[in-house]
Amino acid sequence: MPTIEIEEKVFEVDGNGFLTHPEIWDEEVARLIAKYDGINELTDQHWAVINIIRKNYEEKGMAPMIRQICKSAGLKLRQIYELFPLGPARGACRVAGLPKPDGCV
Amino acid sequence: MEKINDIKIKTALEVLNSHDDSKLISHLNSCVHCGLCAKTCLYYLTIGDERFIPARKVELVSSIYRRYFTVMGKVLPALVSARKLDDKMIEEMVDLLYGGCVMCGRCVRHCSIGVDIEYVVRKGREMLAKMGYVPESLQSTVKAALETGNNMGISYEDFVDTIEWMEEELQEECNDPEARIPLNEPGKNVLYTLNPREPKFFPLSISAMAKVFYLAKESWTLSTNMYDVTNYAYFSSHPGEAKAIAQRMYDEMQNMKSGRLVLAECGHGVRSNRWEAPNYIEKGFFFEALTSVELIAEYIRKGRIRPDRERMKDAVTLHDPCNLARGSGIVEEQRYILKNCVSNFVEMTPHGTDNFCCGGGGGQLAMSEYNDRRLKIAELKVRQIRKTGAAIVVTPCHNCIDQLTQINVTYNLNIQIKTLAEIVADSLPVLKE
Repeated sequence: MPTIEIEEKVFEVDGNGFLTHPEIWDEEVARLIAKYDGINELTDQHWAVINIIRKNYEEKGMAPMIRQICKSAGLKLRQIYELFPLGPARGACRVAGLPKPDGCV
Repeated sequence: MEKINDIKIKTALEVLNSHDDSKLISHLNSCVHCGLCAKTCLYYLTIGDERFIPARKVELVSSIYRRYFTVMGKVLPALVSARKLDDKMIEEMVDLLYGGCVMCGRCVRHCSIGVDIEYVVRKGREMLAKMGYVPESLQSTVKAALETGNNMGISYEDFVDTIEWMEEELQEECNDPEARIPLNEPGKNVLYTLNPREPKFFPLSISAMAKVFYLAKESWTLSTNMYDVTNYAYFSSHPGEAKAIAQRMYDEMQNMKSGRLVLAECGHGVRSNRWEAPNYIEKGFFFEALTSVELIAEYIRKGRIRPDRERMKDAVTLHDPCNLARGSGIVEEQRYILKNCVSNFVEMTPHGTDNFCCGGGGGQLAMSEYNDRRLKIAELKVRQIRKTGAAIVVTPCHNCIDQLTQINVTYNLNIQIKTLAEIVADSLPVLKE
């Protein structure tokens, strides 16, 4: 099982760096994964996106549509891509502790 | 990994025993071990391990063939390098055929005698798929498509909501409250398709293509029932599952009574829907299947859209998706479009039918198991892109886009990555009537 180590904390991940155990996720884990991706500070806008993704995952077991993220966070599409350079899936969903979504992502 | 048993072996060997596949048998027996393929393969060139040489991958499958279907292989297997299909063999096959091949077909193009190595790899994958050894993350994408109708499990409501949102974007862009993204309208010229990652995460390419359709005054529609251009069972190579997915698109063309199936920017989607589907479903198409790339080129040629190339002055380069260029022979159309839509187009070296895969082909992007390899083999693409000095990389494939987006961050490329529809839409002025 691959792992990633950030600030001396070790997480079990799939090969793509998505958490193997989404239930261990907390805000500290989010901060560390973001840092690993080069996002040094999580702003309120980052958190708005992360919380929506997390809530949708806990309720429906999958990532929300980008439409839902924009609507609920009150952000423009382009802002999401700027906040998470790896995009909503490999970027935001990973920071939110979700398993890797299926498909071309 | 589940242990192999006699039933599994029997199922796998049926793939090699097929009397109607003389192509497979001749390609399994033709390799002359010249070694030319070694230096065409991304894996061998970047990782350097001889196991990745394409001929070695063919050898895996052909050694099983010799063991079970030739007299010498049955009697004196060691003498003719014939190998048993056992657990060790399965492990090697999964690792090299699923995890060590992007199915880019570059080796085929350079093979001194024309062995269709990619085809043999697919047949090897088919053996594994029939035994239930498809890597979990790849199978999960196939399963989503089979169970929900699209490979990301998008619900009807979510899809419609997103399309309506993109319709608003289109109306704003075109300054026309009547501009539309038609849904479920039968009898239109064109049934357009999408890669599910567009509605799910990256919808700008939907409004971009809608703008192209709007300005070309095309009669078109999307179907909520079947819009998914992908067929991940092409990658897993499970024939029954590939057939089920291909059949859906065929049925939807019947339902929608469209004359033209337009395949979105998706390399394997084009390959599987246009070239493989008639084989999967065992009947010819009654409609025309073409790519959005060819359609946009047609619009420009006929003057139905008039791009302004002066709008884009940044250096733009093109990444040819393997399944589009090598796999489908679509090479000139994307260049014709770019030369009309941007003022500074630069080629990568090599390009066209000799281009390198981005590293995400063959289902690699979906397979978390081999992530490190996928990023390692991308070194060649990174070098190619850097050499062009381009600020923007355009590629007509959403799978390539995702791989390029990731290597952009991993290798600090500092580029923008766009679909062809996006670059075309940006070049189109909206004229007030």
